[in-house]
Amino acid sequence: MALRPVVAGQDAECLYWLSDRCVPVCAIGRTIPMKLTRGGMMLLIPAVAVFAALLVGPIAIVFNESFKVFVPGRIGSATDAPYTLANYTELLAPAYGGYFFGTFQLGLFAAVIALVVGFPIAYFVARMPAGWLRNLSVGFLICMMFLSGLVRVYSLELTFGSVGALRPVVRFFEISPLSRDYIEWLVVLGLLHFIVPMATLTLVGTIQNVNPRLAEAAQALGAPRWKAHLSVTVPLCIRGLLSAFLITYTLSISAFVVPMVLGKGKVVFVSNLIFSRFSEVANYPSGAAISVIMLVVSLLVIYVISRFAVQRW
Amino acid sequence: MKRQADDLGYGLMLVLVWLTVLFLVAPIIVAGAMSLDSRTYLGPFPPPDLSLQWYERFFTDRYFLRGLQTSLVLAVIAASISTVVGVLTAFVIDRYEFKGKEAMTTFFLSPLVVPAVVVGFALLMFFSLTGVYDGFWRLLGGHVIITVPYTIRTTIASLVGISPSLTEAALSLGAKERATFWEITFPLARTGIIAGAIFAFAFSMDDVAVSLFLTDPKNYTLPVALISSMRANFDLTIAAAALFLVAFTVVLILVLDRLVGLDRMIGQGIYRS
Repeated sequence: MALRPVVAGQDAECLYWLSDRCVPVCAIGRTIPMKLTRGGMMLLIPAVAVFAALLVGPIAIVFNESFKVFVPGRIGSATDAPYTLANYTELLAPAYGGYFFGTFQLGLFAAVIALVVGFPIAYFVARMPAGWLRNLSVGFLICMMFLSGLVRVYSLELTFGSVGALRPVVRFFEISPLSRDYIEWLVVLGLLHFIVPMATLTLVGTIQNVNPRLAEAAQALGAPRWKAHLSVTVPLCIRGLLSAFLITYTLSISAFVVPMVLGKGKVVFVSNLIFSRFSEVANYPSGAAISVIMLVVSLLVIYVISRFAVQRW
Repeated sequence: MKRQADDLGYGLMLVLVWLTVLFLVAPIIVAGAMSLDSRTYLGPFPPPDLSLQWYERFFTDRYFLRGLQTSLVLAVIAASISTVVGVLTAFVIDRYEFKGKEAMTTFFLSPLVVPAVVVGFALLMFFSLTGVYDGFWRLLGGHVIITVPYTIRTTIASLVGISPSLTEAALSLGAKERATFWEITFPLARTGIIAGAIFAFAFSMDDVAVSLFLTDPKNYTLPVALISSMRANFDLTIAAAALFLVAFTVVLILVLDRLVGLDRMIGQGIYRS
């Protein structure tokens, strides 16, 4: 980066020079947009290399593979294998639609419950006075967010599962811990254990930006407390709620460990379907086709929700 | 009337909050209690007598220890690479103006929204095609790509908060670009960079969805070892391992609090009391 000293008289209005660009005195303290220099581009090389080799390249290979004819018994099809649409048409069977529908439905349940449950917790934390209690609450939430996924599923299985601590309770209500409905709820609980702390932490930041006087004013004018919050605080947090929803929903629909362990083969998410194509039947072209659909659908969901958010608010 | 309704609503909210906290904590306590079970089989809760036998088993189990060792080495190397790549990229994104900057930022954060299983599956095909068969290199590749977005994002967040006047002051006083970075920008962004590195380390330690595709019989991570034995037999050694991981997480959070401050993790609101 060439930094030329200012020559008195000649460049009277220039404070200093950045890459042959005069930076005027009046620009002090303002963001100066700088053109991407060669040095700047060099700094991007590692990231571009990493993303090209480990993301773009591999996904391109998967895309190509998804149109290849399946030959049993090898990793990936032969390079000269003919192209076909069979891997996709085979997914049109209603059973596969069921896997996708189930994944997105249970994910939606979990994300909505996480927001409903997370909002009050976030509210209490956000309005706590600074001090040890607040630090403890925030520390607790961050710990719960960072907790290993395996610890969660194992602990939940030990508590709610077929051999779990709550077995007497489950038996009392005459629910079979191996019924499909129970397992579906167990999977939702597994997702919630992960996304509730995350939704809560996202919302704490949002709620801290809402003036508490507004809800107080509503109450002073006669609104009951719940109504004041529902009609004042919640609408003011709508952007934060949407971004929390987006985060938790994407995490839920791409969950892998939770349905794998807690689902016990009865609740199978699309992620698990892709893995079984690799681990059980070794049908790579089919796994590739499911991956492509999963990727497209996930990106579409995110795009639609964020576009909707931008338009509406 | 209104007072009573308010109190009732408030009470219900408190019940909901405490139920949720109970739901988050109780399973961990159950697992903790079961990990101290003195029975040699998986019996009903609560354990009649306590012993440390499952911890002893975990810490003498060759299979788990090897996984733990691989996990730690992998997480340190992957987090280091991701941090360096992330800082360089975030610096360019924050500093320069160019066409397609928004699109590029979105692209660099995209592994956050690409399902991890898709990344794992794609990398498996890629490594088979390019002839990378050593499990460690495959795992390293996978862990770098899933952790890099975190380091980029936290570094951008901390760079945005630095007033441009400081950099300008250094430049106008004659400091070179490099010196400005090391003397001004880096120290001010340090907490964000550290937070990103810790995030990357934690996500690398925890990953299953990508690692499961990329392991070989010699190179596997602790989570992969645990999930394999979880499917084989629901043994209480895993409860001991789980409690070990809980302790590990708590230590990590304490380090994070020490170096960065937990309040920075949730952003500063305007109306904080």
